[in-house]
Amino acid sequence: MDQKQFRLVHDEQPDRHVVYIKGELDLAAAEQFQRTVEPLAGDASKPLVLRLEDLTYIDSTGIGMFVALLKTRHQLGAPFAIENVPPKVRRLFDLTGVSYFFSEMNDASERIGGQS
Amino acid sequence: MKEHETIVQLSIPADAQFLDIVRLTLYGLAAKMGFSYEEIEDMKVAVSEACNNVVLHAYNGRSGDIHLRFEMSADALSIVIKDEGKGFDYKRATKQAASLSGKPLQDVKVGGLGLFLMKALMDDVRVTTKGGTEVRLTKFRHRGEGEHAHECISPSSVQEQA
Repeated sequence: MDQKQFRLVHDEQPDRHVVYIKGELDLAAAEQFQRTVEPLAGDASKPLVLRLEDLTYIDSTGIGMFVALLKTRHQLGAPFAIENVPPKVRRLFDLTGVSYFFSEMNDASERIGGQS
Repeated sequence: MKEHETIVQLSIPADAQFLDIVRLTLYGLAAKMGFSYEEIEDMKVAVSEACNNVVLHAYNGRSGDIHLRFEMSADALSIVIKDEGKGFDYKRATKQAASLSGKPLQDVKVGGLGLFLMKALMDDVRVTTKGGTEVRLTKFRHRGEGEHAHECISPSSVQEQA
């Protein structure tokens, strides 16, 4: 399996949407990401969780889309979490200052954990 | 031009589907020079950010190319990303280029993040706008630091291999 190939796997569980983001999330992958994840972001009835353990590349394109999702979910008052962030992705989150927003969300993910 | 510099050039259409080719090329050249995994990952993001700006802003939907020039010298790798388009407004972006740290969520705008990342991840960033935009990103080799240093391939040996 090509580690770089961008893939999304949507796992709709009874109590939440989980989206596994795999490979390289770059400008070429942006449209596919938005097409899949935006409708889920609009569903306030369930928490939305992005799982990043197999994400091998991200830049400001992907970070920007995560921040946009966070804003959407925040406006809807709906839980949102980003989980299993690989170290090199975490580093970019830290550098750009978005870790702060995503760590706030991790409180939400604990709540999600409590519900499941 | 500096002496003992090896140049590799690559031109791609200003289309996002070719950006992975840029990262693969960069990876190959930087690994040959002995840069660490982390340094290479940093450069991949910085170079992609410069290319993203060309794809999104340079040609206004018309077709055009991105010209990349990898300048490998004994102590540094410089990557020059050039287009012949109307140009990304780097002056304006420079004013916005900042970390989002400490801002309230509703005030967060991701517009300046690309340039911010280029500056944070590279040792030197120079932008020239004249008949298009030219971004020059440089990463110095920090010899003697880190365990990878003894595995460095000298530029002359790279030349011999080429």
